[in-house]
Amino acid sequence: MIQKKDAVGNREVRERRDMSILYKKNRKFYLMLILPALAVYALALLVPMFGGTIPYSFLKWNLMTGKKAFIGLDNYIKLFSDTGFWKSFLFNLEVGVFTIVGSNILGFVLAYFLNENIKAKGVIRAMFFIPNIVSAVLVSFIWVFIFTCAMPAIGAAIGWEGLANVSWFGTPGMATITIIVVSVWQNVGFLMIIYTAGLQTIPKDVMESAQLDGCSGLKKVLKIELPLLMPTVTINLFVSISGAFKMFDIPNAMTAGGPYGSTMPVAMNIYQEAFTKYNLGYGSAKSVVLFLTVAAVTLIQLYVTRKKEVEY
Amino acid sequence: MKKKIWLPTIIMFLLGIVFLMPILLLVMNAFKTHNDMIQNFLSFPHYLYFGNFTEAIERMKLWMVVGNSALVTVGTMLLCTVTSFMGAYGISHIEGKFGNIMYLLFTLGQIVPFHSIMIALSVQLTNMKLLNNLLVLVCLYAGFHGAFGVFTYVGFLKSIPKELEEAAAIDGCGVFRCMWQVIFPLVRSTSVTLLVLFFLWTWNDFLMPNLYISDGAKRTLTVAIYMFKSASGSEWNLMLAGLTISIIPIVIIYIAAQKYITSGLTAGAVKM
Repeated sequence: MIQKKDAVGNREVRERRDMSILYKKNRKFYLMLILPALAVYALALLVPMFGGTIPYSFLKWNLMTGKKAFIGLDNYIKLFSDTGFWKSFLFNLEVGVFTIVGSNILGFVLAYFLNENIKAKGVIRAMFFIPNIVSAVLVSFIWVFIFTCAMPAIGAAIGWEGLANVSWFGTPGMATITIIVVSVWQNVGFLMIIYTAGLQTIPKDVMESAQLDGCSGLKKVLKIELPLLMPTVTINLFVSISGAFKMFDIPNAMTAGGPYGSTMPVAMNIYQEAFTKYNLGYGSAKSVVLFLTVAAVTLIQLYVTRKKEVEY
Repeated sequence: MKKKIWLPTIIMFLLGIVFLMPILLLVMNAFKTHNDMIQNFLSFPHYLYFGNFTEAIERMKLWMVVGNSALVTVGTMLLCTVTSFMGAYGISHIEGKFGNIMYLLFTLGQIVPFHSIMIALSVQLTNMKLLNNLLVLVCLYAGFHGAFGVFTYVGFLKSIPKELEEAAAIDGCGVFRCMWQVIFPLVRSTSVTLLVLFFLWTWNDFLMPNLYISDGAKRTLTVAIYMFKSASGSEWNLMLAGLTISIIPIVIIYIAAQKYITSGLTAGAVKM
């Protein structure tokens, strides 16, 4: 008996070794497979980042004057007292926080109700999702038109003077609100789809036993569904936080940073530094700061929300 | 009981209409004359006016810019899907540290905002004389979206039992054939999702072609419509016609691949 078992065991070991040899033998092939992906990845991302953005950030380099000199950390020191940049940073944070919170709450609520017993779910979900798949730059134009032409018309029609006389793009406050509205409108669909998927992974029996124990309504949502949805919340926060720092298209198309540069996100600030003022070195230092901020915030967020995930 | 189903349905449907209103308005107004649009922005068109489309097609050189966009988009979809799949396949088969390092490298790429490398890319492309080249744009998109592609494929490939490949190898199937004919069909739904996402991200992108393509003959659709706005601020009607045309392929693809978009996004999200 013992001998027989050994024989079987040996065969398994031998087979595993054979398979391992199979992978070892083809190791070169597998390495080659990575090359094309790595090549385009390097061209698009690695080389510009490590061979461009980071080294340029230590240069004083203006394209108009053509001067290029190594100045060490001077760009970063200058950045500390650059009020324009910090204004952009704060504006970006402000719009980001409102957009992240607003679109996640709305996305969850929509997903929740669209997961209930209703008809034509597919069609209705599509109606909320479509704004997400249309170019942000282009729909921003239609929103400008809605704010400047349609809103006053609606205000006049329903006799609401307040709405008719708002100058949507005249003051920093109003312009910021329009940008938040459009950003939330654009992001909700995507988050809704992910929340829907998350809700569908919660086992029915968990919900049923909660119901039997007398847990229902808002309490059920907050105490049972939301904790079970933490993995979904993790991904949605990741998507919306990194999206918030990449904000460019909507403000660019709607306000172009105005009035008086009050609605300029960090990405647009970098764009202007580089492509209208031609300060490549200084712009690169700003780029490094943007990248480090996004990396730090998203990694902290992943760490924090991961810890809150529960098992069922 | 029946009432309970229909009331929420109607409420959600109406909310959906409100939500979709900007896009509905856009399409509705594309079929109005300029004056009609300014005066009756919110009403349905009294009759379908196609003048905006014919004029936009002519002024924007629509077929040319749509052709450029299509070339870049289709090129990116194919190149990025193939390189991502091969890369992910390689990574998931390399044992030890190197595979993990490569996986991490691609995963981290997802958090790099394009705006933090746009200056460097602009300098490097100028130095290499690669500006105004649609194929370079394809490679850049493939690299940029590839981070997500590799990450997603690796997640799916991990769930495929190794025995399958081993059995294929014992039956005398070469590694290359095994990859394309045994494994690739198994991740078909992932591939469709990625193709759709790559389509959306490329077709809709504005900043990259705006920065790296200045030649009017190589302009993409998004940039062409944007140019329309800055060149002639008052010609909203022509812009709306252009916008409507740019939305058509998006809606078609969405309807065709709705099932895959939802399931694919979901699976990717859960894996993360």
